Amino acid sequence: MTTAAPLLELRGVRAGYGIIDVLHGVDLVLQPGEVLALLGPNGAGKSTTLAVASGQIEPSSGQLLIGGREVNGARPDALARSGVCLVPEGRGIFPNLTVTENLRMMTFAGTSLSAIQEKAYELFPRLEERRRQLAGTLSGGEQQMLAMARAMATDPALLMLDELSMGLAPIIVDELYSQVATLARTGLSILIVEQFAKTVLGVADTAAIMLHGRVTRTGRPDEIAEELTAAYLGIESGGHQ
Amino acid sequence: MRTSGLRPSLIFAILASLGFLVVVSWQSWAGNTVTLDSLLVATIAGLSVGSLYAISATGLVVVYTTTGTFNFAHGGIGVFSAFLYWELAENKDGIGLPRLFALILVVLVVAPAIGVFLDLILMRRLRTADLVVQLMVTVGLMVFLLTLTGQLWQADQARSVGFFWEGQGFFIGEFKVTWHRYMVIVVAAAIALLLRLLLYRTRIGVAMRAVVDNRELTALNGARPGMLSSFAWALGSSLAALAGILIAPEVQFSPANLNDVMLIAAIAAAALGQLRSLPLTVVGGLLIGLLQQHNAQWLSHGADWPFTRLAIAPIVLFLVVLALPQARLEVGRVATNLRPVERTTNWAEGAFGSVALIVVAIVLANGWLDFGVWDPGPWNQIALNNGIAAMVIALIGLSLVPLTGWAGQINFAPLAFAGFGAFLFLKLAGESGNALWIPVVGLLCAPLGAIVALFAARLSGLYLALLSLAFALLMAKLVYPHPKIFPTHTFADLSVGSYTLDSRYRFFLALIIVFAVMMFALVLLRRSRFGRRWVAMQDSQAAAATIGVNVILTKVIVYATSAALAGMAGVFWAISKNSIDSGRDFELLANFEIVLLMAAAGLAMPAAALFLSFRFVIEALGGRLDEAGSFGPLVWFLDSFLAKFGPGLLAIGMVVNQRGAVFEMGKGFAPLLPWRRDARRELALERERGRVREIGGLGLTEPFTGEALLEIDHELGVVDDITPAEGYRHAVHPEVADV
Repeated sequence: MTTAAPLLELRGVRAGYGIIDVLHGVDLVLQPGEVLALLGPNGAGKSTTLAVASGQIEPSSGQLLIGGREVNGARPDALARSGVCLVPEGRGIFPNLTVTENLRMMTFAGTSLSAIQEKAYELFPRLEERRRQLAGTLSGGEQQMLAMARAMATDPALLMLDELSMGLAPIIVDELYSQVATLARTGLSILIVEQFAKTVLGVADTAAIMLHGRVTRTGRPDEIAEELTAAYLGIESGGHQ
Repeated sequence: MRTSGLRPSLIFAILASLGFLVVVSWQSWAGNTVTLDSLLVATIAGLSVGSLYAISATGLVVVYTTTGTFNFAHGGIGVFSAFLYWELAENKDGIGLPRLFALILVVLVVAPAIGVFLDLILMRRLRTADLVVQLMVTVGLMVFLLTLTGQLWQADQARSVGFFWEGQGFFIGEFKVTWHRYMVIVVAAAIALLLRLLLYRTRIGVAMRAVVDNRELTALNGARPGMLSSFAWALGSSLAALAGILIAPEVQFSPANLNDVMLIAAIAAAALGQLRSLPLTVVGGLLIGLLQQHNAQWLSHGADWPFTRLAIAPIVLFLVVLALPQARLEVGRVATNLRPVERTTNWAEGAFGSVALIVVAIVLANGWLDFGVWDPGPWNQIALNNGIAAMVIALIGLSLVPLTGWAGQINFAPLAFAGFGAFLFLKLAGESGNALWIPVVGLLCAPLGAIVALFAARLSGLYLALLSLAFALLMAKLVYPHPKIFPTHTFADLSVGSYTLDSRYRFFLALIIVFAVMMFALVLLRRSRFGRRWVAMQDSQAAAATIGVNVILTKVIVYATSAALAGMAGVFWAISKNSIDSGRDFELLANFEIVLLMAAAGLAMPAAALFLSFRFVIEALGGRLDEAGSFGPLVWFLDSFLAKFGPGLLAIGMVVNQRGAVFEMGKGFAPLLPWRRDARRELALERERGRVREIGGLGLTEPFTGEALLEIDHELGVVDDITPAEGYRHAVHPEVADV
């Protein structure tokens, strides 16, 4: 492990919606260049963790650190411009904008439109064919490619992917994850949230299990894979925390 | 992309409109000779006025598409700006800035500042509010701005705004075309082009459209949603100001008139563009301008149709809303807010309230409590007249309770329904005042409600509000002013058999009793199967339909009920005024005041209708204090401030208190009642919650307490020992978490 400050760190983060806390003290560390898979059943708090890390929800207590600096309360757009890229669950695209306009929206993070177009069309040639089409009329896989284009083309410092595979055909999921693997090889730090672990454990360096608003187990992907079934059935493992 | 193509309803609407146009033109042809020159000049004038409507309408559309708020105050901003411009440039006793400089100052500095200010203090809070609240706040703002303008520039002197270039121009044949009109067309074309480029070719424009699709994702991309909405409001206000200043020379320069001209035409044009297409919006604006000018040039409708010029925009609005494709209707506005759960008044409480009112009436009637009301002094006459006006308005307000409060059908036209009742009573009972006809009037008004329901059935939300607006205007500008509807007449005192309500005082007491009875009837109605269906329909039409509620029939019944109530109230309204002044009584602002105050009080509660007496009580109180003397500042506050600005301010206040004032008062009062254990429990829960926000997105309106969560977890076996999971503890008792 590196001695530099972790790229993303959550220390004892509690957060939620109104009176209901969803996260009850989340501790999570993502080292620079690492791919971390965050797994867990429905309602465990995975997406809320990403919402905290991207600035959409402010922790009610605990610390959110990015690059070693505490950024509690930073607005999501400010974090986005400083290189935090979250591709949210369920197609992170604007359905009533064209593909080109969707790409133009990605320029707020600092990359020029021509650079984004070049990169996106190189990776996903199908998007170029459909550049004048409204994004909402693309197929599910194409929409996810468009969403991923932001991750691929804007050169973020931290990438977070929420349920990339949701509702997509297995062959498309494989294609998307091969792109993630490519990104990982460039040294990008990636936090991936998934409910179904098989594909994601193939690209992850580290995996963590989340249950009832806490990270209950962190370890190598192969170790975690063994414990997953138990975790999904709601049985807390007695493993070291 | 789905294309709507030429649907049958659209074809029908176009054919019906053309047919209507041909018939009207045939009937009303004025006989002027048609020459190329006169045709050209009327067309240029139409395009010019239409361009101004287009500018105004595009402002409305830009704000709506970017922020999801339909801004009824758009015209109000234009009116205020136009008067400010007059003060700066046209006022003979003013500072006399050059026109162009004043124009630039108002359009590019003051108006955008107003827009940003409104966004920061009001509009941002409306983003997730219920549509009713959203509409009421902007309508309230409109009323406030018009009142403010009226107070700052009182109608004690005649004002006018001059044309640019002092009305100089060029000639086509014998007709002069002013440079002002000509340049307006050029400016409008330039603005349309620039807006198009802004929204589609610049990053900020694309981001403004992106916010509508997905606000969170816009932020995740790094754009600042708050800045984008402020920019949209600045732009919208700027366009409103420009349109207001340039239209001002063309019309009678008064706040209400300028607002009517600007706002209704803008809404109609925007509706033609389905509130999102700028090119179609521009076409809509031009179309209305052309129709108005050609109507003025070629047609003459005679003295029986005095306000046809003002009816053109409402007719266009009416036809457009009816012809719109259904699927597009909800675009741009997703209801994210849960309506508060309101406890339904039980029949005993309703009976208690009604009986209490009746007792008050009996006490007053017998003079057991002497307020000096028999004393015929001047103040008592004022107080009595105010009391009568208050009760009449409260009765009309009651008609909104089932329709808007329970069934969620927004209606800006309560007086249009009331007027129909007055009309029927005049036809049936003549000037006899036989009260036995009132129930018959109610029954006959129900079909009018049913007909409106059939038009309204396929609409919802904003478009329904716009349809009712068009309906209110059509009745006010076309139907009621026709001399056959309300010929010269006087309503006699009400009578049953030989008993006559021959004094104002008796009439007042009778109104209290009628209100009490109707209120009680509504409480029972709310608890009936109809009441439940209406509320279910408001919550979710789809869900109501899946459990077997016939949505169309339910709508028809609620509209019929409301129309019957309003019609009967209309009879009392007409009698209280002795006669209907068809030119003024149905004004849009009068309708708005009823709806606004009703919403601010709480639309779902019959008793809240009493709140409509607000203005009349304030005025009476002010009058009384004035008579007593030595209350100068207080009288000024009541009469000049509260009575005038109150309705608008109360509606704007809904931005923080969305459930209505009466609801809040009731909430404070309920725990004191011995049988309201539920209210006490609620209060205790609220204290426990402290400052914690309500849950919005989880589909829950009643947050669980920490204990409840523990209980559930324990039952599910998620926590196996009794020791509380500290997380849940933390939510309620932060101090425990640290142990």
